[in-house]
This record gives sequence, C-alpha cells and structure tokens, in this order.
Amino acid sequence: MNLDLPGWLPRSNTVNLLAGVFLLSALYAAAQRRVLAAITAYRFNSIALGLIALAVALATGARHIALASVLVLVTKGVAIPTLLRRQTARGRGALVAEPFIGVPAGMLVCGALVVVAFSQTRALFGSGVSILASCLPVSVATTLVGLFIMVSRKRALMQVIGLVIVENAIFLAAVSLTYGMPLVVEMGVLLDLLVGVALLGLFVGRIEETHGDSDTTRLSSLKG
Amino acid sequence: MPWLLPLLLAAPLASIACLFLRGPRASAAALVGGTGTAFVLALLLAWRVSNGGAVIAAHGWLQADALSALIACLVTGLTLASALYGIPYMAVVRAAERAEERWVPGRYEALFLGLLACLLTAALANNLGLVWIAIEGTTLTSAMLVGYFRRPESIEAAWKYLILCSVGISLALLATVLLYYSAVSVFGEGGQGLQWTALREAAPRLDPRFVKLAFLFALVGYGTKAGLAPMHTWLPDAHSQAPAPVSALMSTGLLATSLSVLLRFHAITAACVGPGWSGGLLALFGGLSMVIAIPFMLVQGEYKRLLAYSSIEHTGFATLAIGLGTPLAVFGGLLHLVVQSLAKALAFLVGGSIGHASGSSRMDHWSGLLEASPVLGVLLVGAGLGIAGLPPTGTFVSEWLALAGGFASSHPVAAATALVALVAVFMGLVFHWTRMALGRPREGFDDRMPALSRLPMWLLLVALVFCGFYLPSPVRTLIEQAAAVVRP
Repeated sequence: MNLDLPGWLPRSNTVNLLAGVFLLSALYAAAQRRVLAAITAYRFNSIALGLIALAVALATGARHIALASVLVLVTKGVAIPTLLRRQTARGRGALVAEPFIGVPAGMLVCGALVVVAFSQTRALFGSGVSILASCLPVSVATTLVGLFIMVSRKRALMQVIGLVIVENAIFLAAVSLTYGMPLVVEMGVLLDLLVGVALLGLFVGRIEETHGDSDTTRLSSLKG
Repeated sequence: MPWLLPLLLAAPLASIACLFLRGPRASAAALVGGTGTAFVLALLLAWRVSNGGAVIAAHGWLQADALSALIACLVTGLTLASALYGIPYMAVVRAAERAEERWVPGRYEALFLGLLACLLTAALANNLGLVWIAIEGTTLTSAMLVGYFRRPESIEAAWKYLILCSVGISLALLATVLLYYSAVSVFGEGGQGLQWTALREAAPRLDPRFVKLAFLFALVGYGTKAGLAPMHTWLPDAHSQAPAPVSALMSTGLLATSLSVLLRFHAITAACVGPGWSGGLLALFGGLSMVIAIPFMLVQGEYKRLLAYSSIEHTGFATLAIGLGTPLAVFGGLLHLVVQSLAKALAFLVGGSIGHASGSSRMDHWSGLLEASPVLGVLLVGAGLGIAGLPPTGTFVSEWLALAGGFASSHPVAAATALVALVAVFMGLVFHWTRMALGRPREGFDDRMPALSRLPMWLLLVALVFCGFYLPSPVRTLIEQAAAVVRP
C-alpha cells in the first residue's frame, strides 16, 4: 500500500517531516529541566501525531481516521496539556524537575535509544512494512525516550509526561501499522487516557498535600 | 439468550444511577441490589453457556464462552460477598476515622460498582480493544479505592499502582495493535480483526511473527495487572492499603480477570504457533512469581501484605499449571483460581474485622484470637487452611489436581519446583497462623463489628470447605469447558 496524498501536499515528505517533529519534541521534553517546557513539548508531540493521522486520513479517504485525528488533537493536543498546566499552577513544589542523571548524559542515553530503535525495528518487523515505513522506528524510539523520562525524573508530574509520551508513541504505532483501530475503540482508549491523566493529576496534588512535595523518591514508606 | 449479556453489564450501571438517591440506606440497598442481580444473572449465563455453547450479542461486541461465564460468576459472587461485608465495615471505619466531611456519600459505592462493571466488561467483551479499555477502567476505579483513606501510605500505594499499571497497560495496547496487524492479511482493514471469536477461528492463518510479538507484550502488559513477577511490585502496596472489601475483590476477581485476558492471548498464540512456546513462557513466569513470593511471606510482619504476596504465589501457581498445558493441569489451574479466590476473600474480610478490633494491622500484635473471639478465630483458621492448601478446603484438591497434571506434562521439573515452593510457603503460614490463633489474647481486643458482617465470611468458608469434599457436576462441566477454551 503506498501513501497517496492529494496533489497539493508534497508527497511522502509530509509524513516524514511530521514524524521528525514527533520524535524531536519527545527528545526536547527529555532535555528539559522545567516542567512547563516539557508540557509544551508534549503538546507539539500530540499535534504532530494528530496531523500524521490526518495525513493518513487524507491519503486513504477513511472517515474514521479523520474523526480519530480530530479527537487526538482535541484530547491530547488541548485537554491533557491544559490539565497538566493547571496542576503545575496549583502545585506548591518547585517547577524544576531535577533528573537523576544530568541533562547532557541523559541526552546521550536518548541518542543511544534512538539508534537502537532505528536499527532494531527493521530486524523485528522485517522489510515488509511499507506503509508509513518511517513512522514505526520513530514510534519505537519515542516509546523508549518516554520510558527514559519516566525513570530518570524525580518529580511526579514529569513521570506523568513520560507516560503520556509513551501513550502517544503507541498510538503512532497503531496508526502506522494498521491505519488505526475501529473508531469506538479509539474513542474508548482516548477516554481512558483522559480520565487516567486527570486521576494522576489528582494524586500528584494529594502527594504534595501529604508529603509536602511531589518528589517521588520520598515515596518509600512501603517496603517488604 | 443473548440479551443476558447487556443485562449483566447494565445491572451495576443501573445501581450506580440509583446512588443519586441520597442517604446511606439507599446506597447500601443499591449496592446489594446491583451486585446481587449481577450474581444471579451470571449464574443464569453460566447455566446457559455450559448447556448451549457460547453466546454472541450486541452485533459481535460481546460474547460469552465458558471462560467468560466462569470469570463472571467468580467476580460477581466475590463482589456480592465483599459488598455485604463492606456495608457495616465502611460505616464502622468511617466513624473511627472521623472523616465524614471528607467522604462524599455514595462515592465508595459508585467506585465499587464501577469496578464491577469494568471487570464484567473485560470478561464479556468480544473485541480485544474493548477488553483493553475495560482493564484500564479497572485500574482507574480501583486506584481511587486504594487511595480512599488518604493516608500518606495509601496515596503512595495508589500512585505506584497507577503509574506501573498504566505503563503495563500501554504495552498491552501495543500487543492488541500487533495482534490486529497480524490479522490484517486475513480479514482486511475491518473491525473483525480485533474480535476474539474471529481471531480464535483464524488463528492458524495469522502471521506467526507478529502473534508471538503480541503475546510477549501481552505477557508484560496484562501480566503486570495479574501480578506476575517481576512486574508484581505494585501489588503488595495496593492490596495492603485498600479498604478490606476492596482488597478482597482486587486480590481475587481483578487478578483472575486480568489473567483470563492473558490466557486468551495464550489460546490464540498456541493455536497459531503450537502450545509449547507461550505455555512455556507462562510456566516460567508463574514459577518465578511463586519463588519470589516465598521470602517475603516467610518474614512478613503485616497481615495484608502477607495475603498480597500469597495472591502473587497463588496466581503464579495457576499460571504455571495452565502453562504446562495437560488437560488435568489446566483444569486444576482454573479450579485453583476459583477456590483460592474464596480463601483469599475470606482471609481479607476476617483480617478487616480483626484489624479493626485490635487496632493494628501487624501480625505480632495479634495473638490468642481463638480465645479472644472464637468466631473470628475459627474464620481466621479456616482462611489459613485455605491459603496454605490444606484439607478439608478446596485449595488442597485444586493444588493436588494441578500438580498431578503438571507431573504428567513434558516439564515435570516445573511441577516439582512448584511443589517445593508450596511446601516452603506452607511452613511460613503455619508459623504465622499459630502465633495469631494460639497464645494469650492481647488486652484491648474489642470486636465492634455487627454480627451480620460475619454472614458473608461464613458463606465463603462453607463454599471453600464444600469444594474440598465435592465438586458439583455443573461446576465441573463449566470449568472443563473453560479449560477447553484455554487449551486448543
């Protein structure tokens, strides 16, 4: 299956460019010390994802993908970043998310993860994947970068940002492998994600209430 | 009777709507009414499925085979018992915590019923995407219940639970996508590629590489929810911090439902690439869970954490038995999921009463319970016999059957490992239980729970012991049919 975009769009470059924005925004989030900047990076990540889905919808003419892309733009591009920003505004903790590893070393790790993802995806999936071929390694790389954000940050909110980036990457994998799942399923997945982020935000607030700060290294009273 | 399935899902949802009628009595009635109706409907469904084969409803979105019916009966039965216990328990705890103004009336009931609705959807959905949505729904509703007391420890437990299970479940979404992709060449781009019934039928024609990859991600993703080691680390925290009726439901219905979803992936993989590959992985991780739980159970000081590790061990044992794959082992494994749930729910509920009466959740603060409160003491000993796998309880029978089947399989070493682990855990449990049940009672032991709260515990104990003597033939038929679903 080849991707046939309408004539007024430069052909294969559109999706590749958007996939680049998708990966770079995740890396930008990984490089940030400030939580607000990481939220903005996530917003760009989501917008790139929504536009990739829209490009696929234009190319295939499938109405359910177009609807799904609009839903992605609304929930992931607008609603979730707004929820996260509101949480930072309410929080009393510092807005700097100290990493366990310094930013330069962290960037090096992310670079290595991207290399691993790009070299190994082909080995895993074979060369039979012609549809949106550039997107699959990008989604694997972004999953790894998102997981790295989750394990390398102490602040609870940064872990949430890592999680939603992983979620975005898996959504991209779904779009690039199968042109998306049935609309009802996509809607359910997005609803779960929205409720999940709202809940995580709620618990970030409660951690700040009970522990005085949202530093997750202090969450260590339960052992054994 | 395809109308049974939507009706079964509607029962808890309708009673959530009833919660808007304010007042503690109305919400208690809604809770018992909703769970009771669901239990009756689930029994009807099981009867219908075991006599007339699988049912498909709601334009292919819902289905019920013997495995679904078994899980639905288990989940609704345990929810009913926990709900009955929860009414007096939550009232007493609410008074003791002096937290009336913080607790919105009806919220606990709504979350509890929401959890039931998600569990039932996961058991009855035909579409694997819908299954995923429902399992994620169980995480969201039960995380709120884990953090219900808003103590620092319960917030910590809820946070770890949410984060770990969200990551796990997003990998399970990737598994669902990969399985869908492996079916694209068979079904084309349509909703059918996510349907369990269609995938099961077409399994031999799916692309084996992607089916294997999908199973690996499902093992990590749904395995996290089912408490398989090494993804189990959230479980002791969450199960020990939740209110007692919620712990009882999470350690039984939630683990069994998550495992049943993983077993569906196993069934598809086994039909596609042969039973040895995915079965071997299940046996490996099941055995690992059993071994990892041992040291934590031997030196455990906290009663509910002990039970949580015991859940890891028992779920691991059932997974190992099902992975070994002989008919007897699969039958024993599924039976074990059922009877261990009865024992574990009983243990959590009786622990709730004792913990409240003694004012502590540590086992070294509990002693002489048989003398202090003979009724609670007997219930505690019964629960202990159940989780240790001793006769006359049903867990003895299920462990016996599963081990016998395991020794006949191609990996008798795995069954031997399981036997050694069971013996080690047994010794730890004997140590803890003799200290709790015997000896001199502590001062200040005061059981203020109403006598009615013991009714669900007695029912669970009777069912547990009954299964040790006699397995009624409809139950046996249902479990045999469920084993046939898992084992192609």
